[in-house]
Amino acid sequence: MADTREVISSGNHLAALASADAGCRFMGGYPITPSSEVIEQMSDLLPKRGGSCIQMEDEIAAVAAAIGAGMAGHRTLTATSGPGISLKAENLGLAQMCEVPLVVVNVMRGGPSTGLPTRVSQGDVRQAKNPSHGDYRSITLCAGNLSECYTEVVRAFNLADRFMQPVFVLLDETIGHMHGKAIIPTAEAVKAGIVPRKQFDGAPEDYHPYECEHDQPAVLNKMFTGYRYHFTGLHHDKNGFPTEEIETCRKLIQRLEDKVMLHTDELELNEEFMLDDMTGEEGEVLIIAYGSVSLAAKESIRHLRAAGIKAGLFRPLTLWPSPEKAIKKYTDMIKNVLCVELNIRQYTEEVERVSSRLDIQGLFKVNGRPISPHEIVSKVKEVF
Amino acid sequence: MSKTLMRFTGVGGQGVLLAGEIFAAAKIATGGEGLKTATYTSQVRGGPTVVDIQLDDQEIYYPYANDGEIGFMLSVANVSYNSFKDGVQPGGTIVVDPNLVHPTDEDRKMWKIFEIPIITIAKEEVGNVITQSVVALAIANTMMNAIDKKTLVDTMLSKVPAKVHAANLKAYDLGEKYALEAMAKIA
Repeated sequence: MADTREVISSGNHLAALASADAGCRFMGGYPITPSSEVIEQMSDLLPKRGGSCIQMEDEIAAVAAAIGAGMAGHRTLTATSGPGISLKAENLGLAQMCEVPLVVVNVMRGGPSTGLPTRVSQGDVRQAKNPSHGDYRSITLCAGNLSECYTEVVRAFNLADRFMQPVFVLLDETIGHMHGKAIIPTAEAVKAGIVPRKQFDGAPEDYHPYECEHDQPAVLNKMFTGYRYHFTGLHHDKNGFPTEEIETCRKLIQRLEDKVMLHTDELELNEEFMLDDMTGEEGEVLIIAYGSVSLAAKESIRHLRAAGIKAGLFRPLTLWPSPEKAIKKYTDMIKNVLCVELNIRQYTEEVERVSSRLDIQGLFKVNGRPISPHEIVSKVKEVF
Repeated sequence: MSKTLMRFTGVGGQGVLLAGEIFAAAKIATGGEGLKTATYTSQVRGGPTVVDIQLDDQEIYYPYANDGEIGFMLSVANVSYNSFKDGVQPGGTIVVDPNLVHPTDEDRKMWKIFEIPIITIAKEEVGNVITQSVVALAIANTMMNAIDKKTLVDTMLSKVPAKVHAANLKAYDLGEKYALEAMAKIA
């Protein structure tokens, strides 16, 4: 039996379908353009699958409800846009500290503040890295076509349970609303790939959810199964109760860092488009882009190659943590590097940091309109 | 057929999105690639809305129609017509509802402009203004010869409730009839 299927859908609807197929049984949401179709679709899908979808009174309550379901042991979702993330930020920090798995779909629109509600942007890339204060490592994925609105959301649910923390999936207005063909895994294939969160099955008196290896997440047993523990945003001990004990506090925050950063190999996913024939010779062009902008980049590469310019695209699907080694490899090899983003330098600065190069060229747009393939072609011809 | 680029424009609430979805789905049903991308303003009801439809035999990457490459545009609102007409290639086809859209003399030199009272046809001849998107669909397909008619009509019927199948079939036939008449007049 084939393990893929063809569907005709939009990015937002695919994100909802992926959630339902990946075993999500709760969504706490609050509609906001351009993400509203996610909750609209979930309100139809979840009751049919024995789950619940609640439209809460605001963005803050929406993420709080989703975190509550995650604490109880369910796969849980919230979906919003940048202004909603700003409101949810405090509770997202709580989920990081308590190590509650949760998927947050952010369909990006123009910002800051209420910005350009119906227009495309990638202005939330930097926000996704640190939406809330304190030390923790964001896991942020980014869909670059319709199929990935499905596959990246599925991946996010599995990563949330593996790393026991919120996982962001960034879509943008273009990807969320575009409507066409997508080849996606079957629901059965997705179900077969689900790895549920770890559970402790020893004696309840031996259960200490936050007593784990230095690079591993907390083991949070499902509620109402006879294991008792405590949630708090304060620094906490092995059972989740507040503490200021020096070494316990240090270990906790270092573990939040190390559980992600010592396992980036499990997170990294990139697309290398037309890069296989790059050799490092003069005149080659490396474009770095992600999300819907990468679609324009691919089309621009068709035109550039037809004009005799050897161009290729490096596209991270996991934006945070960034794919340091792969970016370094290509920026070491290829002299002409152009970052293309619907924001001002938000990921370009990361490319500069990782590559240790300050001659990275950029094409940025922040007026709510997409970057066209022709603009990329013109920029390449202008700067290289 | 290689690539067809069409643009439907109106104002929010007129239902211009549906025609795009039907085109994309019908093209995909024939084994090709179809993509619909809409742009609208935060003023959802009454704001200018544009739907770009790309039909291709090879994979489509960039989801918007590049300005200057669009072969066909249909407009049922003057504000949208003025905002988006420049995307149509010189000599391209533009269909407007003459009761709502008023092209200039220069526009008529630049593009092949057909005037078909789409809204009136839907409202008075079909009897349901909502069917205007299917009238528009029929006009676009008749003029562009983009998709096999049976595939397009079957796809359309699969996307509208059964109780309005008859009205939408009538809307399609009327759209086709008016398009053929308009083309015959110019030829």
